[in-house]
Amino acid sequence: MDLEPNKKFVVPIGPQHPALKEPGHFEFAVDGEIVTGATVRLGFVHRGIEKSAESRTYVQNLYLMERVCGICSHVHGTAFTIGVEHLAGVTVPPRANAIRVLVAELERIHSHMLWLGVAAHEGGFDTLFMYSWRDREKVMDILEEISGNRVHYSANVIGGVKFDISEEQRGKILSSLDFLEERTRHYLKVVNEDETFLGRTVGVGIMTREQAESLGAVGPTARASGVERDIRVDAPYAGYEQFPVRMITDTRGDLHARFVVRIEELFEAYRVIREILDHMPEGELTARVPRRIPAGETISRVEAPRGELLYYIKSNGTDMPERVKVRTPSLCNWGSITSVAVGHKLADMPMLLVGIDPCFSCNDRTITIKSAGVDLGWTWEDLRQHGIEAYR
Amino acid sequence: MSIGSMLGDILKSFFKKPATEKYPFERYEPSQNLRGKLVYNPEKCSGCQLCIKDCPADAIELLVVDKANKRFVMRYHTDRCTFCGQCIESCRFECLNMTGEQWELASLKKEPFEVYYGRDEDIQFLLDRAAQPGTGEPCGGEGEGA
Repeated sequence: MDLEPNKKFVVPIGPQHPALKEPGHFEFAVDGEIVTGATVRLGFVHRGIEKSAESRTYVQNLYLMERVCGICSHVHGTAFTIGVEHLAGVTVPPRANAIRVLVAELERIHSHMLWLGVAAHEGGFDTLFMYSWRDREKVMDILEEISGNRVHYSANVIGGVKFDISEEQRGKILSSLDFLEERTRHYLKVVNEDETFLGRTVGVGIMTREQAESLGAVGPTARASGVERDIRVDAPYAGYEQFPVRMITDTRGDLHARFVVRIEELFEAYRVIREILDHMPEGELTARVPRRIPAGETISRVEAPRGELLYYIKSNGTDMPERVKVRTPSLCNWGSITSVAVGHKLADMPMLLVGIDPCFSCNDRTITIKSAGVDLGWTWEDLRQHGIEAYR
Repeated sequence: MSIGSMLGDILKSFFKKPATEKYPFERYEPSQNLRGKLVYNPEKCSGCQLCIKDCPADAIELLVVDKANKRFVMRYHTDRCTFCGQCIESCRFECLNMTGEQWELASLKKEPFEVYYGRDEDIQFLLDRAAQPGTGEPCGGEGEGA
């Protein structure tokens, strides 16, 4: 071991590491227990989804896009369909929009409860992890009941939704929500009052409002630092105009604030779902959309459980898109980890990391810089070769 | 401020049944809306093949025995299917449906993943033809008439 006094000691974590559920490589420079610098390297799970979207029809792409993320699959599908519907100039029936919001909020509940468990687990609070995941089963059961699938619900079709909500399903959803709301209140109390847990969260990883704005943080991570940024409020899509949500913010910016913001968002989701079920608009479920989408380009934004999700779709008039670009919220939040980590103990790093609710596989992209006159367009074979060489 | 704020949950759980399912000893009763194995009814099928065009997983094939008399056999690959339900959405004649009962589709062998739907004599005809030497691709190519 090099024991020269002026050299930094670097602790590498990942890409294969028991504390990380997905592959990412982090290097923390430490002085004793205290982190003095952090770097992150991603790109271990690049899947070439954007490229494969170019050789599938719009209908097939909807299901490909749902599989960008297993946790927030519905918002990916929604963002894609909203973009395609905009290009085709189709108006979605109000009932379909309401069902889209309903499923999106159910998904938010399951995603936030999953995060609550994972974050508690990284903090060593496995009791909270197990009970929150047990209760999460309730919302998974609702999703199975209404859509037929527990994970990739495939609620969307281009032009509307696949299923309706029956009176019997409405009753089941409402009774499950009562149970979940009571449990969520209990978890909020635990998060706010448990002394050992507060010791791990209060004052850890404080990100100021200025920092959050300059780093471009999104979603609950930004809202916990007091940045008022929520696509559901700023640019309402689908049924959010008819069923508005209240933005939850906190000014403290530490890990505890992120817990509180996400749990408060659960209550907001329960309220919105009840409102939708009480005031469900009548009408059709789908609108007719042509198979060939008129040429043009569009950007669609939705609020995923982790923050703003952006889709760019370019159509060339055929039944396949020319380009689909996906920017997931995790990508925007990485910067907050490397800058906030400095000055904290190494043991706080796993919790800081999950504090942004990262989704590694969703955000991996590859880019090439085009130089003048040289065509650097990549073929499948080039991508494959790059993959082999990059991970050698 | 408190310590052990979840102790109450743990103590209560001592007197409750486990939250986990006892599968396979007790079969889980899923919702009737569950998207399980795909079922095809050849009676109403017009052979438009929109379901095949829209399938994101390449899981269904239509083998045409006699197009004029609308005799079709569907080859369904359960292992490729993603259970998204798009084919049901695409079908205008309601030939396709997903069953809530049949969801235990795991198998150690490859054969059960290939399911044929159609009239018995049509399936037999195609299987017999595939068994003959020199026919190449089993059951003939997609859309190939008899």
